[in-house]
Amino acid sequence: MVALARKTLVHEWRRFLPAVLAVGFAGLLQLLQAALVLGIFGSASVYITGSSADLWVGYPGTQSVNLGRPIDPNVEARLLMDPAVARVEPFIWLDADWHSGGGTGGVSVFVSGIDPRADGMLFARALPPALRALLNEPDAVVVDRADLGQLGVGIGDSATINGRRVRVAGVASGLRALGGVNVVASLDTARQLDNDPADGGRPTYLVAQLHDHARAAVEAAAGRLRADAAFGPYEVWTARAFARRSMLYWILDTGAGAGVLFLAAIVFLVGAVITSQTLVAAVAGSLREYATLNALGVSVADLRWVVLEQALWVGGVGLLGAAVLGAALLALARNQDVPAMLNPPVALACAALTLGLAAVSGVAAVRGLRRADPATLLR
Amino acid sequence: MNAPMHHSPPPPTLRAESIGKAFVSGKLRSRILDDLSIAVEPGELTLIAGPSGCGKSTLLAILSGLLGVDSGRVLALGHDLGQLDARALERFRLHHTGFVFQGFNLFPALTAREQVELPLHYLGLSKTQVRERAVQSLEEVGLAPRMHLRPAELSGGEKQRVAIARALAKQPDLLFADEPTSALDAANGQTVIDILHRIARSHGTTVLCVSHDPRVIHHADRVLRMEDGRILDDQRNTPAGATAEEPSP
Repeated sequence: MVALARKTLVHEWRRFLPAVLAVGFAGLLQLLQAALVLGIFGSASVYITGSSADLWVGYPGTQSVNLGRPIDPNVEARLLMDPAVARVEPFIWLDADWHSGGGTGGVSVFVSGIDPRADGMLFARALPPALRALLNEPDAVVVDRADLGQLGVGIGDSATINGRRVRVAGVASGLRALGGVNVVASLDTARQLDNDPADGGRPTYLVAQLHDHARAAVEAAAGRLRADAAFGPYEVWTARAFARRSMLYWILDTGAGAGVLFLAAIVFLVGAVITSQTLVAAVAGSLREYATLNALGVSVADLRWVVLEQALWVGGVGLLGAAVLGAALLALARNQDVPAMLNPPVALACAALTLGLAAVSGVAAVRGLRRADPATLLR
Repeated sequence: MNAPMHHSPPPPTLRAESIGKAFVSGKLRSRILDDLSIAVEPGELTLIAGPSGCGKSTLLAILSGLLGVDSGRVLALGHDLGQLDARALERFRLHHTGFVFQGFNLFPALTAREQVELPLHYLGLSKTQVRERAVQSLEEVGLAPRMHLRPAELSGGEKQRVAIARALAKQPDLLFADEPTSALDAANGQTVIDILHRIARSHGTTVLCVSHDPRVIHHADRVLRMEDGRILDDQRNTPAGATAEEPSP
């Protein structure tokens, strides 16, 4: 088969360039937007995704990890009664006020009280054992490298949280939070910083690691452990479900989701208009040739397919450009501590959307073939 | 119709029976063809000549199945074209007709060989058959050495020969040509006429050509003169080049 669509695209690339660029930029914008949304709102669940726990146990109905309330520490006994559970660890999460001498005024911080053991589950992925060991010292805290400026401190500096002195013992990366700054301390330090007597040193969450980390096993355990009235109010989620729940809460609660969809629709529309106009012009430019093919008996349906194929090539080339540029920009973002994250399903969805844009434009351009009437060649 | 004594005419492959066609533009209705009947025979180059606006291109469009009629009927290879729907007409054209237009209408991106191959794929031929037929057709129009060139690298005459090869490669029973020489200089025009003539003779193809080019008129086997939507006379050129007057049908 003579690859008419592809050869025309290569030969008349100048004509198709606007369409390729429109598709490429639309794809790139969708991709970066998705990566930023996932990165920014994914940081809402950094406590979960940065940890190695399989199960999270918290106050019933907790919609996002930052909205937890203290639970009965005795739930730990209930968890350990299940043979699937290997170990359990408490996690204290609290809102606090940070003051430093750096002239930054008060900064709202989220204090995470974790077990600083080398094999502790909380922030197992973000904090290497050496850094965790630093937390064993009283009043030691670790913050994200990118937050130092906002906190007005450097490594080794002191500040106060809720009026109590803390010292920045080290910095990590991958601790950035949404709507505040994450400060990691040991469980003991965190209890000292909690000035709400109602909490009484109780944990906000209990996290558990299972012997079997397989998804099915984790889900089965979560189902078994779900609420037992004898231990007071609590709820069990798999880490995966709780992370997703936290992220969705932020996306939906802040209206960001609607904003993202709106922007995606605009990008799609603008991309489709430019692409379809370019393709329509390309069809119009080859109208006499298409009409000649139709005169020779090549059916209108086959000609439509040529135009659609051309649109898909434009989509494919644009997508390739978007992927290369997107990967480079995401690498740059990661390098600069910009929260950007992309997972395969979302990347695939962006690719599908981009090809869909090209296909829709192709369908619009196919209408131009109606004027390819071979009888008009005989005038 | 009377034919010269020395050859008995084969049955016509193309026949129009009292066809009429009018175009409506706003409130104006202009009659292009009026109760016109002709029969075209295979194996010869038949020319429709006449001043512009006489309806000769419309007649060609109707006889080739690109345009419907208001009255009368068209029989092509025994098919009543008026009875075929759009899809069936496309199929009929695919299998039986070739076209050569005044503009060459070649795809700028394709080489001469690809231009010829393109329609052949839709005939359901194998890749090898397509290649063979395309090369053979380009050889027949004398373009085999230049079959790897794109239209931008070919002269006007060469482009028209590619267009002829494209039509010829389908091995059509009916070959229609609309002013095939009007964009060409004398030498190239002559070459194109010779090729069309040869196709009619060697392949037994019905070649119907519309032109007001006097060179074509001299080389056609038969010349139909049209004016105001009617055929005024029907002249047959003898092989020696002398003309034999015939009464119009």
